Amino acid sequence: MSRDYPLGTIRTQQVWKRFRADQQRMLLRDRVEQAARRLRGDRGEDWRWALRDIDLHIEPGESVGLIGSNGSGKSTLLKMLTRVMYPYAGIIDVRGRIGALIEIRAGIHPDLTGRENIYLFGALLGLKRREVAGRFDDIVEFARLGGAIDRQVKFYSSGMQMRLGFAVAAYLEPHVLLVDEVLAVGDAVFQQRCLDRMREVAEQGTTIVFVSHDLPAVQSICRRGVWLEQGTVRVDAGIKDALAGYRDSIEAQSEATARVGEPLALLKYEVRGEDGEENLHTDEPVTVELTLGGDYRGDATLHLGVSEGTSSPIFQISHEIRLTGGDHRVACVIPRLPLPRGRYTLWTGVYSIGKTDGGTLMSWHSAGQFDVFGPMLDTPPRAVVLAAPVFVPHQWEE
Amino acid sequence: MGGQRAQVIDDREGQQAPGGVTIPAGPPPELVFKRRLRPVQVAHELWAARELVRALAERDLRARYKQAVLGFAWAVLTPLALCAIFTLVFHRAVKIETGAVPYTLFAYVGLIVWQFFSNTMNQGALSLANNLSLLNKVYCPREVFPLATMLVATVDMAIGVGVLGLMFLVFWTAPAATFLWALPLLVIQFAFTYGIALILSVAVVYLRDVRHLLPIITQMGVFATPVAYPLAKIPHRLQEIYVGVNPLGAVIEGYRKALLYGEAPDGRMTLIAAASSLVFLVGGYLFFKKLETGIADVA
Ligand SMILES: Nc1ncnc2c1ncn2[C@@H]1O[C@H](COP(=O)(O)OP(=O)(O)OP(=O)(O)O)[C@@H](O)[C@H]1O
Ligand SMILES: [Mg+2]
Repeated sequence: MSRDYPLGTIRTQQVWKRFRADQQRMLLRDRVEQAARRLRGDRGEDWRWALRDIDLHIEPGESVGLIGSNGSGKSTLLKMLTRVMYPYAGIIDVRGRIGALIEIRAGIHPDLTGRENIYLFGALLGLKRREVAGRFDDIVEFARLGGAIDRQVKFYSSGMQMRLGFAVAAYLEPHVLLVDEVLAVGDAVFQQRCLDRMREVAEQGTTIVFVSHDLPAVQSICRRGVWLEQGTVRVDAGIKDALAGYRDSIEAQSEATARVGEPLALLKYEVRGEDGEENLHTDEPVTVELTLGGDYRGDATLHLGVSEGTSSPIFQISHEIRLTGGDHRVACVIPRLPLPRGRYTLWTGVYSIGKTDGGTLMSWHSAGQFDVFGPMLDTPPRAVVLAAPVFVPHQWEE
Repeated sequence: MGGQRAQVIDDREGQQAPGGVTIPAGPPPELVFKRRLRPVQVAHELWAARELVRALAERDLRARYKQAVLGFAWAVLTPLALCAIFTLVFHRAVKIETGAVPYTLFAYVGLIVWQFFSNTMNQGALSLANNLSLLNKVYCPREVFPLATMLVATVDMAIGVGVLGLMFLVFWTAPAATFLWALPLLVIQFAFTYGIALILSVAVVYLRDVRHLLPIITQMGVFATPVAYPLAKIPHRLQEIYVGVNPLGAVIEGYRKALLYGEAPDGRMTLIAAASSLVFLVGGYLFFKKLETGIADVA
């Protein structure tokens, strides 16, 4: 095992981490009880794996997006990289200074002022007081804290704590920057500035590991994606492939959620292109045909939406229908499909109008996926986040 | 879709992982993590964290000395009050014999040491538990937290020593010329106190109800330690064992000899105390470092 990796390298080899599965109150009397039970031959400890067999090799300067559903072990992995947590087994080697922002106010001491915290954190990173002082103004300027810098951090709003935490982590020139979905508490402007800053430090050669459920943001920062599922690495590839796989799995799960006992059900759906052909093309006509079944009679609003990967739709259209009991067929024609190449999910839901306004007849759910053929979307500059893919017909002139 | 995912992990061990690769049921035994302590690295880390120790101690002190007068008063009030009570009870009623030295001075020297110990023990024991949120987010050698509380107690002790100086004036005596003997005793005192603080601080993280033992230890300790009476009150043949368990006994006795009676501390007792406090320090440190790895898991 060579120890000469350059600064900024992250290596994990067969890393395993487990937590107690049984309830733990950390009391002496519980321990005594436990010991007594074990003496009587009861099963003693109950563990469950949070991470299993994690092998990662991240080169200096790489930017890696770590994605996965809740509880998949992302934060646990980051905590082990910062050495806050220790693995059960395996080798973890992170070279160089680590700037970490795990949860809001990572590394921030609530009883100290913002100023003291900056120096404290610098000291924790192994910087001299003088070195911190040299970057102090940048940090305060970036965090836009103004006079609050001399106030105790516990009186900061969560956004302010995050600003300070991020500014400190990103400006004290760590070799490795670990960011765990904290940007969400910042306002839109600050989020963008954070992404910009991450791109900047990435270009200066800092290794970045970015955890977020904001997939477009991850895509805009990272070149490589690691998708964790139930504590194992499911995909470790280019960011696009990792995200695509992850999005597909999200959709597969939401489809699997059965809705029982609702007045209406979607019996059949069809998405077809021009002249009934199966392939859909960007900027060409598309017909969506739905068949609803159920006993409900009366007026209702039918909603139709299209999303990419997440549950927030790119667009949503609705239509009033009159249900008369029995099967109901409704078709919607979109003359020019505004979606670039990709895989999309169709969502639908029906809600009543009239006496029980907004009552759910068929809850909003994904009906299925369809593929669109056509041009790829142009790549935005790094750190610029596209809210949703939309194809806009356009022409350039010079 | 929130609820359905959580519990899958347990029953899947050794089976197909989501990606289709087979994951073994457990890690290879030779890779199981073991804490290796390299003294040089540990010392280096601790040295690098000196700013942190200072900042932590400063925070406590600043909070306490915000009202300068009261803050100062708290540091001296408890030992002075105890000193007054001891003078009444032990000197007047029990008639402890202290020779040519005023009993109040005699008791106060013991109280300074005791106060330092009990402050560090009580605050230090909670130092990790009170900072769990910080411990869970940023890496630092964790022993800095009890160390910072000891630093705070040291400041209090310095104030107590200042008051001792005033007492010398009041009683119109001077510290004996042998007072330099106090220095090695101070080292023993710090080593033992830190060792205890290390053990308790990490114990409290794992066993939260241990903190309820602290007041009991404090109250019994002040009488179980020769604070109000000389070490000679302990049966002679038990003294060595006693000092082995509680080096503070020899430390206090040594201070009295050096500062008040102008004699050198008993060599044998001091050596036993030194050895014992070294055991407490090293043992406490290893215990601490061993359990330290799990702190973030239970935080
Ligand atoms: N200290 C702990 N004690 C016991 N179990 C824990 C502890 N920390 C994490 N876990 C468990 O480990 C698993 C992984 O948790 P982790 O916080 O790493 O998930 P995550 O991927 O960060 O999820 P999220 O997207 O919600 O942030 C979860 O099942 C969690 O319950
Ligand atoms: Mg997390």
